Amino acid sequence: MSVSGWEQLAFVVVVTAVAAPLLGRYLAATFRGTVSVSGTGSESGGAGKKGAPGDRVFLPVERLVYRTLGVDPESSWTWRAYALAVLAFGLLSTLLLYIILRLQGVLPGNPTHTPGMPPLLSFNTAISFITGTNWQAYEGETQASYLADTVGLVVAQFTAAGVGLAVALAVVRGIAGKTRTIGNFWVDLTRSLVRVFVPLSVLSALVMVSQGAVQNLSGFRTAATLAGGSQKIPGGLVASMEAIKLLGTNGGSYYAAGGAHPFENPTGFTNMFDLLIVIVLPFAIVLMFGRLIGRPRQGYAIVAVMAIIFVGHTVVSMQAELHGNHLLPASVSQVASGVNPGGNMEGKETRFGPEASALMTVGTMGTTAGATDSALDSYTPVGGTGAFVAILLGEISPGGDGGGLYSILVLALLAVFVAGLMVGRTPEFLGKKIRATQMKLVVAYVLAIPTTVLILGSTSLVIAAGTRSILNPGLHGLTEVTYAYASVANNNGSAFAGLAANTPWYNTTLGLAMLVGRFAPIVLALAIAGSLAGARVHARTRATLDTAGPTFIAFLLGVIVIVGGLIYFPMLILGPIGERIIG
Amino acid sequence: MRSAIFGRHLVSSAIMLLGVTLVLGFGYPLVVTGLSQLFFHQQANGSLLYRDGKLVGSALLGQSFTDSKGNPLPQYFQPRPSAAGAGYDASSSGASNLGPSNPLLIGFVAGVNTVGLNGQPSAANPFATKADPACVPTDPKGNPVTSPAPGQKYAKASDGSYICDPNTIPERAIAYRAFNGLAANAPVPSDAVTASGSGLDPDISVQNALAQAPRVARARHLAVSQVTALVHRYTQGRQWGFLGEPTVNVLKLNLALDGVS
Repeated sequence: MSVSGWEQLAFVVVVTAVAAPLLGRYLAATFRGTVSVSGTGSESGGAGKKGAPGDRVFLPVERLVYRTLGVDPESSWTWRAYALAVLAFGLLSTLLLYIILRLQGVLPGNPTHTPGMPPLLSFNTAISFITGTNWQAYEGETQASYLADTVGLVVAQFTAAGVGLAVALAVVRGIAGKTRTIGNFWVDLTRSLVRVFVPLSVLSALVMVSQGAVQNLSGFRTAATLAGGSQKIPGGLVASMEAIKLLGTNGGSYYAAGGAHPFENPTGFTNMFDLLIVIVLPFAIVLMFGRLIGRPRQGYAIVAVMAIIFVGHTVVSMQAELHGNHLLPASVSQVASGVNPGGNMEGKETRFGPEASALMTVGTMGTTAGATDSALDSYTPVGGTGAFVAILLGEISPGGDGGGLYSILVLALLAVFVAGLMVGRTPEFLGKKIRATQMKLVVAYVLAIPTTVLILGSTSLVIAAGTRSILNPGLHGLTEVTYAYASVANNNGSAFAGLAANTPWYNTTLGLAMLVGRFAPIVLALAIAGSLAGARVHARTRATLDTAGPTFIAFLLGVIVIVGGLIYFPMLILGPIGERIIG
Repeated sequence: MRSAIFGRHLVSSAIMLLGVTLVLGFGYPLVVTGLSQLFFHQQANGSLLYRDGKLVGSALLGQSFTDSKGNPLPQYFQPRPSAAGAGYDASSSGASNLGPSNPLLIGFVAGVNTVGLNGQPSAANPFATKADPACVPTDPKGNPVTSPAPGQKYAKASDGSYICDPNTIPERAIAYRAFNGLAANAPVPSDAVTASGSGLDPDISVQNALAQAPRVARARHLAVSQVTALVHRYTQGRQWGFLGEPTVNVLKLNLALDGVS
């Protein structure tokens, strides 16, 4: 890597290291009143019983919401009731979004005269945004109206983020709490939106606009170009969507080119800002967890695991993209210098260059955002593998908002179980015994997504409906297909975009994969939490495994790599690794 | 019992959705739009550039500098190749998405992706020309042929050599050198022969601009030093000294050039 590559990586690391603990403290203060866990000494309390920052502004809004919904904010539910609420909300949101997309042609707010989306594309897109995947089989500029973007898709981006954080809070209450109930979904969702996502989105959007991201209602403007031609300059409510796209680890962009589009990501600064607002919140949520359970060290231990993986896959890709494509003629100058970004510039913007492009794009791959500022399909095999691996490890570096936390907690249960087997003791996590009930659910959780990816991916490779859509020949084409399923099933949504995914086969199966990839983990994580809720907390003894120490950090890393690696290794061999060896 | 709970959740969901649609779907973007238009009017509207009161483009979007037939105009600095529509079509942003070993991107590289006349893998490139050993042939309509079948018709030059697909990187490098009057093996900066992620990249690298400067000077009857000085004036360093890469904004540079001559 070059000096400026290291500098930008260091910038991201330092800002995260400062911002995430601050934000984590704020989140913990915000949600402490709704969580009663062992060790903190706080008795069970409903929303807002203990003062939280900003109560004077936020509480009246929240009270109004609870009154309108007819919800008692003090009530706390079993995991089943909680899961049912998540599912009911998901079902209805998907339906509403589907209807908006189908009818966008006749609804108002459509200055660009975009027709309604066809049924299967609407199905795919509705699920995609409700699940926070933001896989985009449609083209932003021409297939979504202003109304569909802002009222349909942006609202879904907010609620997907809110649901993720809500579920994480419920899981924390179950795993660490003293009561048999795990909270109230409406309270969690409302507080997440009112106190976290909306204020942060407004601020972030304004930062982006100040740099040049557009935010207007002008439709297309026609410019007379210098050479005597004309150019249609698009407008749109871009920054407001961009903010929640990133903060909510969603990833769905206003324009087809996504974060590569100068109107979405205009400068070297916005490029790093975009990455930061993706990753800071998931890290902060983990630190919030540590504070809520009264063991901040536990939060830092998990953050360490996430950060190691993040830096790993990001640095590999940055180096590979800077090194460039060795198949180009030697006379094409790929050596970086002060006057030439060098490296593999296909699909990359000059203002970012190969390293910052890889840092941003592959950096967000460890979250469910999967936001890109460059074309992944044109990455070198090694550079693309960095992105692929981040997804295959299950989005835990640092993962989605909320999703990152509950995913890694499940893997932590697996790790303490394996550790328990090795020393012959009943495994414990946060003082609670992990038994067969929990382990069955953990195994189901760990297998749900790989099963979906491998079955649908391999089917697509043997039927014409699947292979017809492949753009690039050879092993790279195989990667296009398997990457698509891995991406959507992990709710990432980034693509090797050469794949022509707007077909009946892909719209349907990718839609189903997104559903499984979102709701199976949510229900299973809630079930695990429910099974631990109210379980007896055992005092720590000298023989208790310290789940916040370096040994456990190394052990958890090992479990993550072995579980992810072994399941997908054949796929990586046939795809990018094979491509690199043959090339 | 459970279905009753689910029903109650559905009712709450409906109310919640109505609320968030109103507040987040309408209120949030309008608040952001209002504040943006108030404080960052120029940026929020697309950093538009005007000349004599007429809209000529956006400082953030690249545009084509070609004549009506699509040939690059020598008096203007040329942007990077573009995969957005027919080139710099801002209503159709996007990348080529060509993989790093795709012959449409890198040409036929011997031993990597070369095929024989029958379409089977082969060790050498049977379509190689003197100028371009990686030549990807075209059919009579000008479309590239990457999987030849027996009986395939090819476009050929008068000396019998294949006419190559002009969009591969080796071909672009050859055309770049010819257009700018560079020596046959002169290094070509990678950004000059690759398409950007958005297809709307407003910038080129400094090296790319400097390599074009003598040609632009010739076409405009200016001293090379004059044009080079303009390039340096319009070179934007890394933001804050370390974010991103140094760039030259093509539209701004060309506007300045028009102002000089």
